[in-house]
Amino acid sequence: MALAIEAEGIVKTFWSGWWRRRVKEVLKGIDLQVEEGEIFGILGPNGAGKTTLLSILSTLLLPDRGSIRILGIDGLQDGHRIRESVNISSGNANFVWSLSVIENLRFYGMLYGLSGRRREEKIESLVNLFDLKEHLEVPFDRLSTGLKQRLSLAKSLLNDPTLLFLDEPTVGLDPGVSMRIRGQIRSTHKASGMTVLLTTHNMKEAELLCDRIAFLKEGKILAIGTPGDLKRIVRVGDLIRIQFEGNISEEELLRMEGVINYSISNESCEIMVDDAEKRAGPLAATLSNGGARIKSLTLEQTDLEDVFVEFSKDAGSDRGLCI
Amino acid sequence: MSLLNFQKTLVQIGAFAFKNWIITRRNFFSLAEIIFWPLVGLFSVGLLTVFLRLDESMTGFILIGVMSMSLIQVCQIDVAYALLYDLWAKSMKHTFIAPIHPFQLISGAWLIGMARSGLVFLLLSIFSGVAFGFNFFESGAISLILYLLGLFLIAVSIGIGVCTLVLLFGYKAEVAAWSITSIMALICGIYYPISILPSPFPEIARAIPLTYFLEYFRSFYGFEGRINNLLLRGFGLIGLYLTIEAVLLRWVIHHARKKGTFIKLSE
Repeated sequence: MALAIEAEGIVKTFWSGWWRRRVKEVLKGIDLQVEEGEIFGILGPNGAGKTTLLSILSTLLLPDRGSIRILGIDGLQDGHRIRESVNISSGNANFVWSLSVIENLRFYGMLYGLSGRRREEKIESLVNLFDLKEHLEVPFDRLSTGLKQRLSLAKSLLNDPTLLFLDEPTVGLDPGVSMRIRGQIRSTHKASGMTVLLTTHNMKEAELLCDRIAFLKEGKILAIGTPGDLKRIVRVGDLIRIQFEGNISEEELLRMEGVINYSISNESCEIMVDDAEKRAGPLAATLSNGGARIKSLTLEQTDLEDVFVEFSKDAGSDRGLCI
Repeated sequence: MSLLNFQKTLVQIGAFAFKNWIITRRNFFSLAEIIFWPLVGLFSVGLLTVFLRLDESMTGFILIGVMSMSLIQVCQIDVAYALLYDLWAKSMKHTFIAPIHPFQLISGAWLIGMARSGLVFLLLSIFSGVAFGFNFFESGAISLILYLLGLFLIAVSIGIGVCTLVLLFGYKAEVAAWSITSIMALICGIYYPISILPSPFPEIARAIPLTYFLEYFRSFYGFEGRINNLLLRGFGLIGLYLTIEAVLLRWVIHHARKKGTFIKLSE
């Protein structure tokens, strides 16, 4: 599979103040590869450097050091060519206040060289996709937050980008609107096959949308992988709680595939596995065959939030894994 | 450049003209910039010439100054608006993630600036004729066109300067959009010949193209200046400044990409 993004050794430092200059090293040597057609998430706490990384990859910002290739084009030398094929949508979207929805779409369409019928057809399809028809003549500053976000997404698809950057696309939106936006991102991606790079600190969003995720903290990528991979990396698995009578053989538990950890006390047992739904059946069968009578079995699935908490605990620990 | 690329470039230039046009059409204050302030300027100075009982040629000398300042101010503010609207709306990054060149941004806004300035010229010419008996068309079509072209080029030069300052200093620089023209007018002898200015201001005035275009146009109304080749000097200087500014603006945009200005001004 070809790579949409190749970044190596990206370092970015911001300087502020005239008199006593303050230095903040935001990115500390980022290596990243994103395959074409992927939805790739950058997850991390506030101030981790997510937006800075996205801005560099979208050519809005130049790094101090490192190399970037976007869609096979050198990001440091030929940003203009890259900008033909990428676009961006951000949370807390801002466009010229007094322009209406349709005027904003026309203006940005023209920035990408669209004119005449081609532009109007493109706008019409995006207006339908994002359900903006009733609001075409409404000035930007009178739109609700959700509508602003939908307009921002529509604008970001005007040039049929090969690579789309989404910077916290659902930040500040209520759950219903967020769900709708995520659905639209997913369906657009499915229809076009474009590569999407999104930043978020919403774990559910990352898990729902992303094929792979990079955990970013304090300017460093701590791990990259699928949501499942990342759970395995931090050994934060799903939990199976069993109430039983009789005996459970610890040797058998240790031999079982997918078991990460366990604890047994009196007639209850907690077993941590990589995938509760997959392991619960074989586990129950094995324990029953070993002489335990299972009274109850409950599953407690972990999500990326637990993984996130684990990563956030100790930035110094170099898990250093990339799957 | 292929035909397709050329068409695309025109559309991109048109985008900035479209934005400025829509905002001008919708905003009352924008209309005030075209009608209210230029007329206030014309009448306040024109009535002063009546009160002072200045003769016809001296009235013309001063009204040419008023006209020049109004035209430059209206045209240059449109060029500056190309970035100022994005600055105020915090939408800078959406403009600069698009595949545009700085000259497209400037020239699209400049087109609307020239159209608005042209309207101001017509309006002020009519009122100058009716109220003060001064005819701006007396110099002839070619000299009038050259004079207006000079003013429009000065305006685009100031507008680029404002855009450059905005990209360097952000909100702190927006005041430049309203102050540069006034300072320039003061130095270039808008209501008086530069010879009355104390040193070193006459020398500074000679480095500013407006001095030559004012003197050129006034020469058709009986004010023969002491400087030769006025148009050559005026257009030569403006060419030099525009070349320097084009290089500077490109550098400033590159610098903005290094410093994260587009991100900061979009937050």
